[in-house]
Amino acid sequence: MSENLTYDKVNKIFDVGGRNPVHALCDVSFTINSGELFCLLGPSGCGKTTLLRSTAGLETITSGKMLYGDVDISTIPPYKRNIGMVFQSFALYPHMNIFENVAYGLRVRKTPEAEVKRKVTEVMELVGLQDELKRNPSPTALSGGQQQRVAIARALVYSPDILLLDEPLANLDAKLRRYMRAEIRRIQKATNITTIFVTHDQEEAMAVGDRLAVLRKGVVEQIGTSDELYTQPQNSFVANFIGKMNFFKAEIENIDGASALARVKGTGFAETVDRSRIHGSFTKGSSALLGARPEQLIVSKALPQRPSLPGTVKIIQHLGQFVRYEVEMEGDAASAIFEIDMGGLVVDIKEGEKVNVSLKSSLASLYEAKEEA
Amino acid sequence: MKARKYRKDLTQALVFLIPMAFLAVFLLYPMFTTLIRAFMAPADDLAFHGFSLEGFKQFFTSRLYQKSLRNSFVVSISVTALTLLIGVPMGYFVARVKMPGKNLILSLGILPIIMPSFVGAFTWVILLGRNGIVRTFLNWLLGPLGVEVPSIYGMFGMILCMTLTYYPFVFQLSYGAFASANPLLEEAAMLMGAGKGRIMRTVTFPLILPSLGAAALLVFVRAIGNFGIPAVIGGDHYVLPTLIYFEVNGFWNINGASSIAVINVAITAFVLWLQKYVVSRHEYETISASRSEIKLHEGKGIRIIAMLYCLIILIVSLLPQITIIVMSFFEKWVGLFPEGFTLANYIRIPKYSSHELFNSFYLSILATVLCAVLGSIVAYITERKKPKGAALLDLAVMAPFILPGTVVSIALLSAFSGNSAIRLTGTYAIIIISYMIRRTPYVYRSVAASLTQLNPSLEEASTIAGATWFYTFRRVSVPLILPAIISGSILTLTTLLQELSTTILLYSGKTRTVPIQIYGAVQDGKLGAASALSVVLLVVVFFIVYGMNSRQGSKISNAFKMG
Repeated sequence: MSENLTYDKVNKIFDVGGRNPVHALCDVSFTINSGELFCLLGPSGCGKTTLLRSTAGLETITSGKMLYGDVDISTIPPYKRNIGMVFQSFALYPHMNIFENVAYGLRVRKTPEAEVKRKVTEVMELVGLQDELKRNPSPTALSGGQQQRVAIARALVYSPDILLLDEPLANLDAKLRRYMRAEIRRIQKATNITTIFVTHDQEEAMAVGDRLAVLRKGVVEQIGTSDELYTQPQNSFVANFIGKMNFFKAEIENIDGASALARVKGTGFAETVDRSRIHGSFTKGSSALLGARPEQLIVSKALPQRPSLPGTVKIIQHLGQFVRYEVEMEGDAASAIFEIDMGGLVVDIKEGEKVNVSLKSSLASLYEAKEEA
Repeated sequence: MKARKYRKDLTQALVFLIPMAFLAVFLLYPMFTTLIRAFMAPADDLAFHGFSLEGFKQFFTSRLYQKSLRNSFVVSISVTALTLLIGVPMGYFVARVKMPGKNLILSLGILPIIMPSFVGAFTWVILLGRNGIVRTFLNWLLGPLGVEVPSIYGMFGMILCMTLTYYPFVFQLSYGAFASANPLLEEAAMLMGAGKGRIMRTVTFPLILPSLGAAALLVFVRAIGNFGIPAVIGGDHYVLPTLIYFEVNGFWNINGASSIAVINVAITAFVLWLQKYVVSRHEYETISASRSEIKLHEGKGIRIIAMLYCLIILIVSLLPQITIIVMSFFEKWVGLFPEGFTLANYIRIPKYSSHELFNSFYLSILATVLCAVLGSIVAYITERKKPKGAALLDLAVMAPFILPGTVVSIALLSAFSGNSAIRLTGTYAIIIISYMIRRTPYVYRSVAASLTQLNPSLEEASTIAGATWFYTFRRVSVPLILPAIISGSILTLTTLLQELSTTILLYSGKTRTVPIQIYGAVQDGKLGAASALSVVLLVVVFFIVYGMNSRQGSKISNAFKMG
């Protein structure tokens, strides 16, 4: 039975005392529950792979503790940690057949031959490669998806305490990726091993993980379930990283215990935001970002009832279930081009035309301006 | 997982320490003593009696030293220029013109470098010597026009021999560059309206420049370090390596020889720097991975010219091989035809040269195995562990690659002869050490290149699966780099079997090798015996190389590349 994995103020500085020290992990502290499938998510260079490699022992952390149950594993050499890991490149051995690849960890542990056979067969059934195992080819003769399964089987066969997956789907094509992420979830739930899944793809993370941690520049920005991260992002970075968030540059006109009134400077566009959706501390007169998801905005040719701002349609994209309008807002209302998703094509709007942008419902949130992503 | 104290795994430190200690004692220390001795007055013991510039002063006062230096420059520069002139068109023709038997041309085109260069030299004596067959014929032909072909002895002969010996480097490397250049780049230039000449000048040539630079460097370094050819046909035209031999063999003046060695190395280092400087400003990465098939020239005119060109070069450069085989069956060959057919040259080998044959194989095989171990471990350290000073380690291991063989011998003699703490003169050990120092770069380069191709996660996966460092090294790293170790070792073995320039200063009666025996026979004018022994050597080397090429399909010329 797996136990909890706790990171306690973990710091990793590359090139300590060197000319360009890089603070890859800053005071990372959180707990992954036993049997949980936990995703580390963030843009490249955010420290997610460093955290994974530190967990495996391939990197030594500069300070802090990593506790498995109540044992500090940060001092245990990597080959004694009993961890399973699947690499982005799969790292299968071309000089061994798939049986020997999977059996590798058992051979290291000097497992008796009969048990090696039984365990390899079992795990290959679990990952759905029992037929390939009978032919037992070299891993180079397998397809990408099959290689992935061999890599997973190899990491699971010796019943590791923790399973680490380092962008395991990055080398597969789009269709296979969607299929394999469901497979990984199935296999993880079947074995119930505490698992960390690293990815830079937020869609993948949301689909696979029980919980997610969003990292940026070595700092954990937010931890929660997919739904929590999407509906209640804690800051503008998370808001714009988990899905898209459009930001109006606004100013707090009024604030009390229950709500705040934010107005885009010098316009009639103002919105009352409920306290539950205010992230950060504001005072009257401070600048803020008023955030709205693409599906929370409306474009229209005619002036709508609710307050609106003018903009110009740059590009219209049909994306199946919805149509995405990219709108450049006029004046200083926004810093980036807005993405607005409409349920269907708005008949009288063409690319290059002026439109009015308004909020569909009062679900907009407030974020501190300095954290703009 | 249990919390307990873990002992540090010391195997790794142990495995790394031995090669490091070897390099320190047998590479760095001798280089250091050479440098010290270069500034000492002529004497044979390593003791400091105060600085002296005696050795270097010779370059300003002695006519012999000045002439040697000038000869070295003239020979190396001419040879480099001529090999480029001959090799580049040949590489282009074979890569870009439709012609039959390309693989055969490539295989035959590598033969001159797998034959000991001094063997090539003495066969040219048979062909172009004072009464050589070709010279006699040419003089008869050209005599009425008042033209006389110079005798092979001297500058002309050295340049000719070295050019024909070393042009394969340029041929093979430029062939590789022309064949692997992305034709899309040339097609793009053509679509933008560039003519053939402009494409050649602005696209094709700049892209192969790094390969040409590498080939030119390779030729220059070998030409300036070559001992065998000037020793056989240089006559009284000394070059730096033969001058070193002269100082040591004639006067046992190791300090004086050290001065010459330092000058020799300084020139080589300068040229290496020059090449890096020029090439580094012209090195490009390929931007796109997509490429199309190279379109070959199919015009009748160019095909005939290309075929004739390759044929003539191959025949001329392979004349020594043919001559030597014929010569080995005859007693003498002066004038047009060989005289006195005999098998005695071969029959005498067991009686007179069995000890030398044993020595050659024993020394070469043992040194090769040790080279393989040393080179692989050092490559693993620089590529995988990347310690501080990895670049320095790389430089130290690669340095002997550009050092002339005579210089390596001088370094070892300066450190381990006379009154030094460890005396190795005349032993098998000193020859094996010299072989290791000189040839480890082959395995090292080969393995280092293979390791950069190898994803480190293969080894990490093993660590995570619970394997110790040594288990991972044995079960994952070594099996995966084995092809590189083998190809580097084969190259090491074949070149060691023909080694002359290092051995000549280090051998004793007990440690004579086949090349020494051949060299001696040539000096005594026993060309038949020398030829028969050379043929034996040639056959052995040919089968080793042929065996590797057919098994691995890898191009041996790649292993000659550096950096």
